[in-house]
Amino acid sequence: MEFAASQPLSLGIELELQLVRAHDRDLAHEAGDLIERLAKKKVPGEVKPEVTLSMIELNSTIQRSFAGALAELEAQRAVVCEAAGVLNLGICGGGAHPFHDWSERRVYPAERFKMVTERYGYLAKQFTVFGQHIHLGCSDGDEAVYLVHMLTRYMPHFIALSAASPFYQGEDTSFQSSRLTAVSAFPLSGHMPFVADWAAFLEYFNAMRGYGIVEGMKDFYWDIRPKPEYGTIEIRVSDTPLTVRRAALLAGYAQALAAWLVEESKDRPDNAVYRVNAYNRFEACRFGYDGQLVDPYARSKRSIREDILATAAAVMPQAARLGCVEAVRELADDVRRGYSDAGWLRARLAASGSLPDVVREACNVWADRAKTH
Amino acid sequence: MDELAWFLPHWPPAFSNLMLFGVLLVAGLLGGELAHRIAALPRVTGYVLVGVAAGPHALGIAPSPLFSEARVFVDLALGLIVFELGHRFDLDWLARNRWLAVAAIGESVGAFFAIYWTLGYFDYPPLLAACAAAVGTATSPAVAVVVSQELRASGQITERMLLFTAVNCAFAYVALMLFMPLVHMQHETSWRSAILHPMYLLAGAAFLGFAGSQLLLWIAGWLGKREEHQFVLLVALVVLVVGLARALNLPVVVALLVLGVLARNLDYDHVLLPLRFGHAGQLLFVVLFVLTGASLDFSGLEAVGAVAAAFVAMRFLGKALVILALGRLSGLRAGGAGLLSLSLLPMSGLAVVMVYDTAAIHPRFGAELAAVVLSAVAVLEIVGPLATQFALRRAGETHPEA
Repeated sequence: MEFAASQPLSLGIELELQLVRAHDRDLAHEAGDLIERLAKKKVPGEVKPEVTLSMIELNSTIQRSFAGALAELEAQRAVVCEAAGVLNLGICGGGAHPFHDWSERRVYPAERFKMVTERYGYLAKQFTVFGQHIHLGCSDGDEAVYLVHMLTRYMPHFIALSAASPFYQGEDTSFQSSRLTAVSAFPLSGHMPFVADWAAFLEYFNAMRGYGIVEGMKDFYWDIRPKPEYGTIEIRVSDTPLTVRRAALLAGYAQALAAWLVEESKDRPDNAVYRVNAYNRFEACRFGYDGQLVDPYARSKRSIREDILATAAAVMPQAARLGCVEAVRELADDVRRGYSDAGWLRARLAASGSLPDVVREACNVWADRAKTH
Repeated sequence: MDELAWFLPHWPPAFSNLMLFGVLLVAGLLGGELAHRIAALPRVTGYVLVGVAAGPHALGIAPSPLFSEARVFVDLALGLIVFELGHRFDLDWLARNRWLAVAAIGESVGAFFAIYWTLGYFDYPPLLAACAAAVGTATSPAVAVVVSQELRASGQITERMLLFTAVNCAFAYVALMLFMPLVHMQHETSWRSAILHPMYLLAGAAFLGFAGSQLLLWIAGWLGKREEHQFVLLVALVVLVVGLARALNLPVVVALLVLGVLARNLDYDHVLLPLRFGHAGQLLFVVLFVLTGASLDFSGLEAVGAVAAAFVAMRFLGKALVILALGRLSGLRAGGAGLLSLSLLPMSGLAVVMVYDTAAIHPRFGAELAAVVLSAVAVLEIVGPLATQFALRRAGETHPEA
């Protein structure tokens, strides 16, 4: 398995989106109709099916900067919203639909998804959750392995900053992001083993393939994983935010952070990161910015809020170099004022009194007919 | 023995209609389940067949007093169904997708002219043909709503079937009312009543529906978003509108459609929750379809069988040609247009009501109209739900376990 060359720190964004029926705001089963309709349109990047008929996935092209990624996402959104409108479908972000019944989901009629369903049973339908994946270009496999280890410490940031799944199956979960719990149920979820370099990773991968456990990288549902075909690493912990802007902000932050880790960080990969990872991850999912983060390097504990603000300040010079100061600053401002998409969703429930209304408002926000803040 | 007589009932005991009603309900339920399990037919067809068996053409055990006593169930069932149909009618969608609006109206016009020409071909007088054609454009709201519910269908074909049904029902009523003055003239009523009557019907029903929707939204806004409260409120408003429409001699279905459409499209504060029929709905639907089956009239089938067959075939063609022509433009996927046309085949209860309404004004005219239309209804009441079920299944929009 070759690690393809790619422009270091180039960006790619994948967004899984909810398809919503107009009359009751429950999930629709119409991904097939929408994708067929979009096939005839000029959409930058790609629109792809996902495991159930209630989801679509937007893929960006390779982007150098936050600004380029944002412009492309906005263009994609416009085309997709227009096509969805013709079919009377709503589209929204958020990590999970607030009140859909997982047993009602229908699997997308494609061989790959049928196999997933056969293998994983009800987990496949329960996997109707919606995440943002951020690809970061790496110069080679060794850098990819280095970045996966180093970025793991910061995964709680991406969980807290994107958290947008407080409701699940009609109930308030008390979590900021309940989506990751659905991912954790899969046997190959979790994190990459602590390997020293790309050669060591290949040894692990080939052993797993030899056992017949995996066929390719896509069989690992890790929080961050190398994607050798693209020459990237892929951050997979984020909920799909409620707006394309926030999705682009997160990508910008990831870019600045990775640049800082490559250029300036004094820490080296340490297995201790994986010792504290499950604790940190839970804190971020459950409490968002208020969660505690154990820093395995400093051997100290502080709130995720403080940790994000400190990191944002540290990466600012790199952000300036890459043109994503706006992204880092805007996210830091949100952290200071305590804004999260999950909090907004809860506030809308309190104001409107029903989850279908929350979904309707989330669709308006996604279509840029309303603002979150 | 005599000393026991004071507490034992008289023999034979007097069986009430209530008992008979219970028996019909159980029979309907079993019939629906048998149809579903043995022949994979829609349960609706099973209910109808039980009704036919109980009705005047077969066993004759469904006597008319039962009908009038059960009328309230039928009214409530149809009321909720027509309200739901109106409530699913989304003006925003039509604004975003103009070709959809064109297709919805075009489909009604296509069916109307197809039937009109067919009846003209069989030498029926033009006015009779036009009235029958108007009645014939309407798809059965009951079958469309209940079959899609039973199959837990959701998707483009389902949504469009419900939308087109709402439009073609409205079209049928409005067209019929426009022909009404001419019918009146033919039967030598004064021109003034000939013009005022349809105006009264349309304006009255529209206003009643509007007033009902405002009351519904106002009370629902005050009650808050509690599904159980809103369901009771909705039943109350539906019954109220049906009762008022009847008392004021207004067309019940139009008033209910207007109520549903406005309750959705004027609900600016989003106070209404989506309607879910639940178990109470199931009860009402069994009664509705059993009684519909019992009211089917096959007596004219022998005399006008050929015309009725042509009526049914041309009605389908009229709908299908327009939908096929506009399918892709309105955003349907390949193959969707044919299935949508098929799903719109059912024609039922409403037509019967319309025929009786017309017959009530002019018995002679109504009787002529009735023979053809009621035969077509009788056929489509059995075949229609099958077509709808086939179309929705084939479209892949039904729940795999439904």
